[in-house]
Amino acid sequence: MELLAQAADFGTYGKWMPPNLSVRGGAIDQLIEILHYFMAVLFVGWGIFFVYCLVRFRSGKGGSAQYHPVKGKASKYAEVGVAIFEAVLLLGFSMPVWGEYKNDPPPADKRVEVRAIGEQFQWNFHYPGPDGKFGRTNAKFIDNVSNTIGLDPDDPNGKDDIQTIGALHLPVGRPIYVRITSKDVIHSFAIPTMRVKQDAIPGMEVPVWFQIKEGATTANLLKSKSMNEDFDTAKTNWYRVRHLVASKDYADKSGQIILAEGAGIGLSRDAGEKKLKQLREAGIDSINMHPENPLEVICAQLCGNSHFKMKAQLYTYDDAGFEAWKKSTVPEVIEEF
Amino acid sequence: MSDHSHELPFWKKYIFSVDHKVIGIQYTVTALLFLAFGFGLMLVMRYQLAYPNQPLPGVFASVLSEPVVGEVTVNEATGETGKVLTGDGYNAFGAMHGTIMVFLAIVPLAVGGFGNFVLPLQCGAPDMAFPRLNMASYWTYLCGGILMLFGFFVKGGAANSGWTSYPPLSLIATTGQTIWLLGMVILITSSLLGSVNFIVTAVQLRVQGLSFFRLPFFVWAQLVTSFLLLLAFPPLEAAGLLQLMDRVAGTSFFDPGGLIISGVERNSAGGGSPLLWQHLFWFLAHPEVYVLILPGLGIIAEVIANNTRKPLWGYKSLVYSAIFLGFMSFIVWAHHMYLTGMGTTLSTFFQATTMIISVPSVIILTCLVISLWGARIRFNTPMLFALSFLPMFAIGGLTGLPLGLTASDIHLHDTYYVIGHFHYVVAPGTIFAMFAGVYYWYPKASGRMMNEWLGRIHWFGSFVFINAVFMPFFFLGMAGVLRRQFDQTETLHGAAVQGLTVMATWGAIGLALAQIPFVINFFWSMFAGQRVGANPWKATTLEWTAPSPPPHGNFDAVPVVARGPYEYSVPGESEDFSMQATA
Amino acid sequence: MSATVIPYDVKPHPLTGMYNGKFGIWLFLASEIMLFGALFSTYVLLRVGAPEGTWPIAGSPTTRGDNILQVPLAALNTAFLITSSVTMVLAWANLKMGSFKKGQQFLLVTVLLAGAFLVVKYFEYNSKLHHYAVTFNEHFDRDGVESKSFKGLTQAGTEKTIHYLWGHVEETKKDADGAIQSYLFMPDHDTSHGGEGHEPKAVEIHPAEIARMTTFGPGGSSFLGCYFVITGLHGLHIVGGIVVMLWFLLTGSKMWKTQPDKYANRIECTGLYWHFVDLVWIFLFPVLYLL
Repeated sequence: MELLAQAADFGTYGKWMPPNLSVRGGAIDQLIEILHYFMAVLFVGWGIFFVYCLVRFRSGKGGSAQYHPVKGKASKYAEVGVAIFEAVLLLGFSMPVWGEYKNDPPPADKRVEVRAIGEQFQWNFHYPGPDGKFGRTNAKFIDNVSNTIGLDPDDPNGKDDIQTIGALHLPVGRPIYVRITSKDVIHSFAIPTMRVKQDAIPGMEVPVWFQIKEGATTANLLKSKSMNEDFDTAKTNWYRVRHLVASKDYADKSGQIILAEGAGIGLSRDAGEKKLKQLREAGIDSINMHPENPLEVICAQLCGNSHFKMKAQLYTYDDAGFEAWKKSTVPEVIEEF
Repeated sequence: MSDHSHELPFWKKYIFSVDHKVIGIQYTVTALLFLAFGFGLMLVMRYQLAYPNQPLPGVFASVLSEPVVGEVTVNEATGETGKVLTGDGYNAFGAMHGTIMVFLAIVPLAVGGFGNFVLPLQCGAPDMAFPRLNMASYWTYLCGGILMLFGFFVKGGAANSGWTSYPPLSLIATTGQTIWLLGMVILITSSLLGSVNFIVTAVQLRVQGLSFFRLPFFVWAQLVTSFLLLLAFPPLEAAGLLQLMDRVAGTSFFDPGGLIISGVERNSAGGGSPLLWQHLFWFLAHPEVYVLILPGLGIIAEVIANNTRKPLWGYKSLVYSAIFLGFMSFIVWAHHMYLTGMGTTLSTFFQATTMIISVPSVIILTCLVISLWGARIRFNTPMLFALSFLPMFAIGGLTGLPLGLTASDIHLHDTYYVIGHFHYVVAPGTIFAMFAGVYYWYPKASGRMMNEWLGRIHWFGSFVFINAVFMPFFFLGMAGVLRRQFDQTETLHGAAVQGLTVMATWGAIGLALAQIPFVINFFWSMFAGQRVGANPWKATTLEWTAPSPPPHGNFDAVPVVARGPYEYSVPGESEDFSMQATA
Repeated sequence: MSATVIPYDVKPHPLTGMYNGKFGIWLFLASEIMLFGALFSTYVLLRVGAPEGTWPIAGSPTTRGDNILQVPLAALNTAFLITSSVTMVLAWANLKMGSFKKGQQFLLVTVLLAGAFLVVKYFEYNSKLHHYAVTFNEHFDRDGVESKSFKGLTQAGTEKTIHYLWGHVEETKKDADGAIQSYLFMPDHDTSHGGEGHEPKAVEIHPAEIARMTTFGPGGSSFLGCYFVITGLHGLHIVGGIVVMLWFLLTGSKMWKTQPDKYANRIECTGLYWHFVDLVWIFLFPVLYLL
């Protein structure tokens, strides 16, 4: 229960920005926040002057307009002020954060490395395995089911490599180094909760790195208060809860379970709306739900007709959990959807 | 002169006319039709976004067919079916909405329409410098536009790789993309013809006494715009040509080689660069932003000067800012490409130029709002549109800040925040300016006023609903919802804020309804509007010296200019406006 | 025509020193510079980014364009265009001095030189479009003809060996359904490896052995793509110039009778355009053929 309280601080979906689970993401959030305060001050100040002018100088009041221009330096000061503040934002906030994102990769022996290969319409991941070396890849070995990245079977470095489709497994608290590329068109590797986004461009391999906050494991998140939300069965619609599952059993008066713990509301809209109706009719006006899996990798660059569905599940573990996951994978290929 | 024009047969006077005013009106009407069409595409998309995979309402369902929509079963019990937008259909509508709005609606309206009609008049010229080239420009534009629309009828539907057409996606897209490229090449040709004409007219055809610093700001804005069109469009034309070759002649300018498309290696020599397209595209497309906004600012300046009854504050600052904007817009393009893997050096340069380019925009907005001080503001329809332009344009400008800084762009890049940002600049911004311009110059073009009350209803509805459409976008972007998503509820963070998308859709429906009074007003006033003389707004610039509507050749006598453009409420004068033309 | 009189249609404007048409053509040329500038930039970027040994085409000994292009033909074309620029100026000068007949004659010579340029270009293009590069799936060796190989890096950094042959397709054999069964391929002399002093001989190649078969047309390599697009666009500009000049040759006398100054101005504008087209070629020649 200690962890639950800790995990509850990570934030929730649907309120302003998505939860931030990365160590450096806070700097981005802070910059966005400062910018919006700055914008609000400018806009409100400007707006007050604007509205005051509209009221005071309306034609209904009679008299004639002033030909001679207002003499005053206020506008100059305001403009210079804006320019200086922009310079501060650029030099003081944006550049250091960007520099950290770009210039200072974690040392090779300390990081967890993984390749992310985009294709229409899925993310493929490639782990180097225990030897820490990625096997060679070649287009001629590509097999759409068992070897989507085209790993060369003759390369000794590749023997212990792990491939996954649509599932990214990462440890918390350690630097993660993702090399991003694409097999076909341009994709963009994005994890909203990690404040990470990088285009996946065919013919290029661009790395990004980030670190997941301590304690932000999938298991903890599922238990956290912020991910467990109450929904009014009369007001919510299927779209809002389509990826969520019930946090406990819901039964009608006769004790028949309508929505079991861990079960979703329905995969199709029809089924979902029916289930919601059933819950309402059983007198259940509020249900507590949480995401089936709280973290996702998405594609942020238009890549074709199913672009919107191109996503992968992100699973985070503590060190022990991550090791256990690695052991559980057979050396050749694993598939997860 | 005017007698002579009556001898022209109808088709020469109104269809294949070389008169800049007729061509201006042709541009305006055609562009307004394209605007309505682009808006219609958007309504279909918005319906899908708010109600994913639910059958489209009858009015859309009846006109749409494969491959844009697909049949689904609505009711399993009765077997009733309905039509639903497909992923490809959505992408095609998205790409075409962007293309049509930018290249077929706003630019032709702002430059081809208002520029053509007003600029020669404000210069005191009898026509454009090259009247026949002007006609060629309009007809080229129309051909390009019709070709673009033809894309909807080829196999696989219209271009569906976004209005940005990033390769390699656009290289493997259906035939519609080829049509798109051909259409773009034709449209660019039209723009080039037009911009040469505008520049020569504004420089060479100014009447005696009309020095550069006596030109109305509108002319300055058009002049800078024309230079941007002239110099920024050719690289896109080159890029379009290269992409066309990649698609039809087997070249590989944008294909790095070894692409595995659905398991099959694409046959090409390789060695190309997908990023090369982005550089060439944004080298045009950033100046294009200022092409979209500067003419709008020009109109706003005219309307504000006229309805505040005082000179514009800081006229010279406005002019210098517009010129500076023009220059700077050529060196900010890569701020659209921060997340392509750009290092710190390049990104620092482009962040810095992006921050610098915001300064002249701030100055322009400041000048316009300070012009209100000491005014005697007349709240007529054009002024209401112009005044509401100011805060909404400010929102559009301010929200550019988090996108211009790389660090905040990481979260906001390619989200609805971007969509909100540029729509606030272009839709509540430029389109409101266009409406202000239509209401302001309608009496000049037709000799009749538009109805004031219908105009005010139109303004009020548009103002309320356009904010209802675009304000939610910022919150959607904050929540991380990406643009170009057929169904945002496929993702966790998207499903959580679906309500905002529903709100934006209803805002768009309201916005559509709010345009009804405008359409009625536009046609009704043509026949029944109150007749007016040469200068109904008591304005100062040269177009108000010519009769309403001006005959072929424009002025009864060649005007001579004696003073600056905005001499309102000059102390000691009997009237509160002193016109530029003497006698 | 309308009765509207446009100021500075013929007389120069005091500020710019140009009549409208001349100012207009200069602006147009500015946009043309941006157009060709973008294409030249494309060329530079692709060349800089090309993996080693793949420019101008995979397997070339050096990166110079003359590995696969014919410099003498281009030099001849350069001479044609430079001469045509001179005759263009002479056409205008004669018109300015009031000699319509001589002016038109020089204009005709300009058109003929431009035509000669296009004829040479046709032969250059044609030889490229009938010259083939075949890339094999693996090392090829049949009837004493062996493929050459080239080891290169892809942009992503992976190593890739290319087995290839250059030459001409003598014959394409098809079966009853029209499907290609084999090509009779005549390798180029220097790539055939047929042994010293032997005549190169044709060899049969089956489609299954071929990874990629392409002409030295636009799809042959990035360089050839640039070559065809830039020279092709330049060629279109030449064609445009010819059309305009022919128009003036056919209809010039009518305008000359009423507005000789305006006619001379039009030829001046045409000349400005023509010099620009020549200038583009002066850049193209060294960039594509010599560097």
